[in-house]
Amino acid sequence: MSMHEEEKKTKSTVPYDEDNYTHNIRKDNERKLDRRSFLKTMVGAAGVFAVSTLPWGTIAAKHLINPSKRTYPVSKIADLDLMKVGDAVEFAYPGEHDSALLVCLSDNEFKAYHNACTHLKCPVFWSKEKEELVCPCHHGLFDVRTGKPTAGPPKRPLPEIELSVEKGSVYATGVKKYEAQL
Amino acid sequence: MSLVLLLNIVCTQQVVNAFFYEQYAKVIVFAGLNLVLFPIAVWIYRRERNVE
Repeated sequence: MSMHEEEKKTKSTVPYDEDNYTHNIRKDNERKLDRRSFLKTMVGAAGVFAVSTLPWGTIAAKHLINPSKRTYPVSKIADLDLMKVGDAVEFAYPGEHDSALLVCLSDNEFKAYHNACTHLKCPVFWSKEKEELVCPCHHGLFDVRTGKPTAGPPKRPLPEIELSVEKGSVYATGVKKYEAQL
Repeated sequence: MSLVLLLNIVCTQQVVNAFFYEQYAKVIVFAGLNLVLFPIAVWIYRRERNVE
């Protein structure tokens, strides 16, 4: 019998004479994940968690040590004589992708908010009829005077933009510090 | 031990949350808690190992 024929013969035979299909379980490796190594893995995970919070902690510490206020540029939004009561103007502040909404409530009363809905970042619009800020995606409503959500899925208020009125124009001067109001 | 890991997850989540709202004192508290949890995990492991 040649080598080739012998190989063929062994391949064609049933390799294990058993009926429970458990021959692929090797007892040697079964204790690879025992209690001790499992605990070791858990300790390692705890270490990873500890190390991963370090950068957050250091940045927070840095902010606490020197609370340098973030400075915002002053930018003109709109002219007073072009705005009527109940009008709204969309603008971008402080970055060109941070879209915001300025609403004229009365002659000299303005409110401006970032108009990304705090639910899923849909753009929020000013509804003159309802006198509320409306998110059309899921019918979220925000109070225009405080920025707090009044209806719908959003739970957090809109970030407010600080304004100043000078020489017949409305200027954006900063973004109010965002506090959790849960 | 799994309780320690659960606390780890909770603390990390709180750290990120506090950071988002710029409450930096809270961030430090929870980051510190997370750091303290690691020696506790090691201690639990050692205790278990010595029992066996």
